[in-house]
Amino acid sequence: MSSPPKYILKFFHWFCDPDYVEDIEGDLLERFEKRKENGESARWLYMIDVLKLFRPGIIRSFEGPKNLNTYGMFRNYLKTSIRNLRKNVLFSTINTVGLAIGMSVGILMILLISELKSYDQFHEKKNKIYRVTTDSKIRDSERHLTSASYFVGDQIKEQVPGVEQVLIMRPGMSADLVTKTGVVSLSGYYTTPSFFDVFSFELLKGNPQTALSDPNNVVLTETVAKKLFGDEDPIGKTLDLESTGGWQKRSINGLITGVVEDPPINSHIQFESLISFSTYDIPAIGHGWKSDYKVRPIDYQQNFVYLVLGDQTRKEEVESVISEIMAEYNSTAKEPITHLLQPLDEFVTSDSYVNRTGPMFSEQRIHVMVGLTIIVLLSACFNYTNLSLARSLRRSKEVGIRKVAGATHSQLFSQFIIEAILLSLMALVVGLGLFFFIKPGFLSLPNPSAQGHQMFTLNIRSVHLLSFVAFAIGLGTLAGLSPALFLSRLTAKIIFYDASKIKLFTGVSFRRLLTIFQFALSIGLIMCALFVHKQYQFALNYDHGYTTENIVNIKIKGDNVDLLENAYANMPEVIATSKSSMILGVGSAQLGLVTSEDKNVRTMLLQNYVDEKYFEMHDFKIIAGTGFVGSAKENAPKQIVVNEALVKALDLGTNEEAIGKIVLYRGRTRVQIVGVIKDFVNIALNVNDQDAYVFVQPTRKEQFMTLGVKIKNDQLIKTIKKLAETYGEIDPNHPFEAEFYNDQIATIYQPQKTTYTITAFLAFLAISISTLGLLGMAVFTTESRMKEISIRKVLGASMKNLSLLLSRSFLVMIIVAGLIAIPVTRYIVDDLLLNDFLYRAKISALDMLSGLLIVLLIGVMTIGWQIREATIQNPADLLRDE
Amino acid sequence: MGKHHLGEFEEVVMLTVAILTNDAYGFSIIEEMEKRLNRKVSIGALQTVLRRLEKKGYLNSELGESTSVRGGKRKRFFTLTSSGKKVLEETKEQRMGLWSAVPEFVFGK
Repeated sequence: MSSPPKYILKFFHWFCDPDYVEDIEGDLLERFEKRKENGESARWLYMIDVLKLFRPGIIRSFEGPKNLNTYGMFRNYLKTSIRNLRKNVLFSTINTVGLAIGMSVGILMILLISELKSYDQFHEKKNKIYRVTTDSKIRDSERHLTSASYFVGDQIKEQVPGVEQVLIMRPGMSADLVTKTGVVSLSGYYTTPSFFDVFSFELLKGNPQTALSDPNNVVLTETVAKKLFGDEDPIGKTLDLESTGGWQKRSINGLITGVVEDPPINSHIQFESLISFSTYDIPAIGHGWKSDYKVRPIDYQQNFVYLVLGDQTRKEEVESVISEIMAEYNSTAKEPITHLLQPLDEFVTSDSYVNRTGPMFSEQRIHVMVGLTIIVLLSACFNYTNLSLARSLRRSKEVGIRKVAGATHSQLFSQFIIEAILLSLMALVVGLGLFFFIKPGFLSLPNPSAQGHQMFTLNIRSVHLLSFVAFAIGLGTLAGLSPALFLSRLTAKIIFYDASKIKLFTGVSFRRLLTIFQFALSIGLIMCALFVHKQYQFALNYDHGYTTENIVNIKIKGDNVDLLENAYANMPEVIATSKSSMILGVGSAQLGLVTSEDKNVRTMLLQNYVDEKYFEMHDFKIIAGTGFVGSAKENAPKQIVVNEALVKALDLGTNEEAIGKIVLYRGRTRVQIVGVIKDFVNIALNVNDQDAYVFVQPTRKEQFMTLGVKIKNDQLIKTIKKLAETYGEIDPNHPFEAEFYNDQIATIYQPQKTTYTITAFLAFLAISISTLGLLGMAVFTTESRMKEISIRKVLGASMKNLSLLLSRSFLVMIIVAGLIAIPVTRYIVDDLLLNDFLYRAKISALDMLSGLLIVLLIGVMTIGWQIREATIQNPADLLRDE
Repeated sequence: MGKHHLGEFEEVVMLTVAILTNDAYGFSIIEEMEKRLNRKVSIGALQTVLRRLEKKGYLNSELGESTSVRGGKRKRFFTLTSSGKKVLEETKEQRMGLWSAVPEFVFGK
């Protein structure tokens, strides 16, 4: 304890100005001794004194020549780099723009991924929240659902140890509320009282413990509460509503017990209201509601079960207990059910489930996008590498001088890396600008799996800026690596005595390979974009087997359907009307079951309740029998119209023989086939199934969900307005929701449109980057071969000879790239991109060659421009000075 | 007047150097200041100010003889330069001027 701590002294020696070290150290020591005499904690105070000396004025100057002298060198590198970039404006521009294009996409990806990773992270129990998923086997095909039965949720609560909370939610609350300012649509979930124990949505008003305990308790979001009640306190107010969601109608005499914050954008559950689950127990009108839904393990399609596990509980333990619970049911069931747990961070990114609560952005999609981004970035990096390597001879003199002056290998290496990083940082600024340019376009791309939810904001926060800079530095390093290695390895001797030994085109084959890769990428992306676009157009124009032209589909909501239909039918603009439960060809379907009369054959099928006018209005091709004759009669078997696939599935003989036969619908109702329709597109073109289909004439009008109205071709907009007005007069309580049939069909092919837009955009980027690279190389080649060209010209070479000479190697590379890209792209498009489509658009030879031809054209134009520049020079001007 | 302006701490340090005349080095200045003004002074703060004043030309410094105490480290003695003296005097006059301008009743005399 007698002397001051050594390491502190060392630290002091390291930072202190050498001129001051001696006397300050003496002072420190003197003070230390003095304090020791006084009995103070001298060592401690000594340390503090030294730390307080660490301040400007005492700290040594880092510009000092003897110590840390790389600072000066860094400044010099920076200066040379800037000068060099300014001297070669064309090349700097090519490199900056290329990198910036790549970087704008990179920035987009960084933001996208960071926003996706932030999903649901605001829940306090995020590491302990799991969702119970369901795997079930139906007809040999395994189905995965994110929903589970109320039964299993209930059993977990009672029997599984280590589960802290169980939350069961059920979608299907949907109502239109009439207020003074207009109609407010309200959707929401039925949920058990544990909602606020599991999730961290903040309850702004009300008691989280009791807000959802009793029947008819309603919690509204802030926005909805404001819409409905303005600035009044909504707590304790009543809210009468008629929910029409989930195939059923129920009147709810709600009592508002809470106001919750609006779910943030990065929440997988989006809702406008929450209603206590006990409300759902009150019987409802319509099909689907069964009083025993709580005890049937097979009722797993509509409930979502969330668990909060205890700190010590592992997911596997819970899963194994659940499988024990299910064992009893599974031992007798035809369709065994397995329940598994899915952790919270997979809620949004998993794509292996057929139903979801909220938006989805599948992991697979991210991988594809990241992959494409990396390819574009590499392509941009490569432009820099290629051009810098090709031009390395021009820098070799500088390298030589530096080496002679004593620069080490690593110093030169860092110089060229710094140069690349500098350029990359410049590109970052340009790239950010480009990013803001493409951002609105990207955000407005249709993303059907988001379920109408705007998933991303792509706002830049300060955290991101750091990652952008890191990203730019990384990219710069990558791009500059190869030139820096090459240049720093040159020796002064070779540079000054033997310059001819530096190969002008170092690593020619390596660079050729990279160029071919660039072109192949461009060709491939052009082809992808074209093929997907063709398929999109093909799907839109495909003959579905029925007409959709000028048909408006209106959602049926109130009880006044007949009144409405009559009113429409009397309008002169309306050609026909008909009602149905499903809309064909727009991606959704309703499952049913039909058994032959002798109960030997049964088949799952898709079903649709339609009225007798349906077939005529949609121009179905009835190949045997008729459509529905008259309206449904009591006591007589219901009429059905089926498609060819059903006739085959039930072994009913020929189409004609099938007419008049009785089958059992849903295993019990006797129905009679009155007509057979040619197979048609029932769900969508990209559903790889030609399913059996049945049209049933319903006895209850509640089964109709859609009113189709076929209108005259002229003045469509005006007619729609008129339809809306009539609707408003007859049913003022519900908003008019209508869409053109053709638009609805277009909507389901939006994923293809999105794929097309993205690939087209990437193709554009890839072409831009490779064209820039090509331009750079062409300029460089012609520049460095100017003398050769002049001599050839003097000796009588024609323009044609010269053009061939200069462009041959580029053209060969483009064609090789085409040979690689065409089969690979064909495979990717056929087996991956459009795999779902049963019917494909035809692809002609010209389509196959399109990518190659476009790249070839751009290439020839780029090179041609440079060759022209070179060949119109007067050889005398160039050769005179030697 | 005017552009040479001393901060409070600078002024105190220079006055202490003046008091100590030929024995003003880092530690003795600290001790003197702590004794007279009853305030804690860190070596860091003091040394920065000393170097700054030296750069401005108000102080001169010189390394002394090596002695056996202080681990054989030499002391750096500080003395006022003539411009240092001048600036101190100016500061004093300014202060006095201000004091004399204060009406007597303010301090209740």
